[in-house]
Amino acid sequence: MARRKRRGSLFLGRKKISRPLCVITYVLLAAGAGRAQEAADFFRQNCVSCHTVGGGRLTGPDLKNVTARKDREWLIEFLQSPQAMMDKGDPYALKLQQEARGVVMPTISGMSKERAQALLAMLDAESKLPKSQFAGMQISDRPFTAYDVAQGAAIFRGDRGLANGGPACLSCHTVKSVSEFGGGRLGPDLTRVYERLQGRKNMAAWLFAPATPTMSSVFRQHALKPEEILPLVAFFEDAARRGGQDESAARLNFFLLGLGGAILGLVAMDAAWKRRFRNVRRALVESARRRER
Amino acid sequence: MNVRSQVAMVFHLDKCIGCHTCSIACKNIWTDRPGTEYMWWNNVETKPGTGFPTQWEDQEKYSGGWEVRDGKLQLKSTSKEKTVFNIFHNPHMPTMDDYYEPWTYDYQHLFDAPEGPDQPTARPISMVTGELIQIQAGPNWDDDLGGSPVYAQNDPNLKGLTPDQQQQLFAVERLVFFYFPRICNHCLNPACVAACPSGALYKRGEDGIVLVDQNRCRGWRACVAACPYKKMFYNWNTGKSEKCILCFPRLETGQAPACFHSCVGRIRYLGNVLYDASRIEEVAKLPDEQLVEGHRSLILDPHDPEVIYEARKNGIHDSVIETAQRSPVYQFVKVWKIALPPHIEYRTMPMLFYVPPMAPVMANRDAGAVNGVSGDLFHDIEQSRVPMKFLANLFGAGHEAKVRYALRKQKAVRWYRRALTVGDVEMSVAERMLREADSSPEEAEAIYRLTSLCTFEDRFVIPPMHREEAIQMLEDPLAHKQSVGFGFTTGPRRGM
Repeated sequence: MARRKRRGSLFLGRKKISRPLCVITYVLLAAGAGRAQEAADFFRQNCVSCHTVGGGRLTGPDLKNVTARKDREWLIEFLQSPQAMMDKGDPYALKLQQEARGVVMPTISGMSKERAQALLAMLDAESKLPKSQFAGMQISDRPFTAYDVAQGAAIFRGDRGLANGGPACLSCHTVKSVSEFGGGRLGPDLTRVYERLQGRKNMAAWLFAPATPTMSSVFRQHALKPEEILPLVAFFEDAARRGGQDESAARLNFFLLGLGGAILGLVAMDAAWKRRFRNVRRALVESARRRER
Repeated sequence: MNVRSQVAMVFHLDKCIGCHTCSIACKNIWTDRPGTEYMWWNNVETKPGTGFPTQWEDQEKYSGGWEVRDGKLQLKSTSKEKTVFNIFHNPHMPTMDDYYEPWTYDYQHLFDAPEGPDQPTARPISMVTGELIQIQAGPNWDDDLGGSPVYAQNDPNLKGLTPDQQQQLFAVERLVFFYFPRICNHCLNPACVAACPSGALYKRGEDGIVLVDQNRCRGWRACVAACPYKKMFYNWNTGKSEKCILCFPRLETGQAPACFHSCVGRIRYLGNVLYDASRIEEVAKLPDEQLVEGHRSLILDPHDPEVIYEARKNGIHDSVIETAQRSPVYQFVKVWKIALPPHIEYRTMPMLFYVPPMAPVMANRDAGAVNGVSGDLFHDIEQSRVPMKFLANLFGAGHEAKVRYALRKQKAVRWYRRALTVGDVEMSVAERMLREADSSPEEAEAIYRLTSLCTFEDRFVIPPMHREEAIQMLEDPLAHKQSVGFGFTTGPRRGM
């Protein structure tokens, strides 16, 4: 409605309204459209890894018609600090946490009251659309094939580059099955990430828009493509199924491997420098003592 | 022919009484600075014994000196390739235990000790850690056969002795030993100079003294490993290597080096010789049995007009040629052939020669009974208490011929003097012995005079150094004694 009104006034402006007014109107219009766009971007960056609009539940609830389910005041307060609501013992908030199997919605930085209002307005608008842009990753339900897993492994290792130029997973993460020496240890071990995120839908949503500060700053400009996400999910599913040894066993193995390597190295060096100089006098004294005994 | 002058030395071992005065004279002048406590540029060893550092003669362990490999003369301890891999850790370095942990005594304790039933003692304190220590070894720990089962029996020179000879030595184990004073040999083919990665070591052109440039030394210590006589020392305080400098500041002012000057037994002789530098490599590659003769052949006759002509051509001053003609070293080594280089098999061509000791039998032990044999003082040298093979290992690269020649001539001189002064020996017999020993009454008289009646001027014929002709004038080291080491106005320091 508002938009149409403004458009009308612009039309009028061409005929009747003075030039300065026309400029102000245009700026207002641009600002309004800009605010809506900004809220959508904010939602994409911070929310889509757990929420959809009309795409069903992920970790968090589907936000279609959320304003109809709960009053605005409560929602705005909750958005600004979810943890505080839990601590206050708000029954609805606790119910939400229970539905999310204990996961508490993180406090989003930069979530001001104005931004929360803009988000709710944006959600209202999206809820009315037949298919929201935030309906979520529609990942196919077909069973994963061995080819998918192989492709996923290739993407993970970086054998196949990411279409948008993101870095290969291996540079920071490891998965037990990926190689003997594992992958990067900067980020968390992803062997059981498929179980942690509870299935392919959540996993795909997470990969579509990674929510952690590190991941989002790396992948914001280099988002994964849906045709890359499917093999990766397949790969993670396969890795979780295969499992592999748990972390403590792996650490012990790593330690033992290092210890064995060090001992082997010392033995090799001792052999290589067999003729090196050793203490002369003390050896004489000791051998004389042995002879005495 | 490339004639050069070298200050060379002779130590007459039959005269050494093992008093260590030389070591103390050297220590007081040169190595009483921090970082040099453990150094003994001059030391006196007992033979048989393992010396300082322990078993330094065992080059299987210490890898010092040269060897002929693939027809080339190569260092045992290092090479261009090995230098790269060993530059930060030299695998052939003697440890502190092989030298000794230097110590002093807590004299203050004598005054401060609380009253008690016993006299207080000055307890030993390590000069490395500053803490009280239990002394394990010293620089002459095996002096006079001390600790024989550990030291004397492990003398590397016992190698190659037959069980019979070993038994002979051990049967009179507590009766026979001789002293072996050592300083830097100022070799013609110094391994330390060849091994230095920094080019800090050099052999002084005018007199052949081997020196370390303290400004260029970077403390790699390749010289310590390379020197087969272990006469290179590392100063931990300055981070540089140091060695015997043959008291060159004293030589330059016409004085004998401190150890020579102070020698109680007057065993030391010093004088310059002319040698042919162009043949050093050729001689150093000779097989072991020809080394002594080859080494001797490097020394040229200073009376030969051709040698004098070549020497002058090389810029050797007439006064230096004149002192070479009077040199006692030339007499001992070249004319009489009774002074021999130590361990010539290391192929560094040492310019310090030793007159081997006679060690006549004074008594021997037969089935537990000791028999005096002083009646037969001039026995056959083959019956010498020190087995010929042992002396040959020290002075003849394991070959006895040269050692036997030197001992036989000395014995003949004694017989000759006995016939002259005491008269209980037939002069005809003495003269026959001289002939057999390739000598003559005139030579015997000369040997006798330079051995027994030598004056200061006879023993030390110091060539004029002509420092005015030398490139570099050094500062007076005595002016900086105990503050900066020697030769520089600022002390050597660690680092660049």
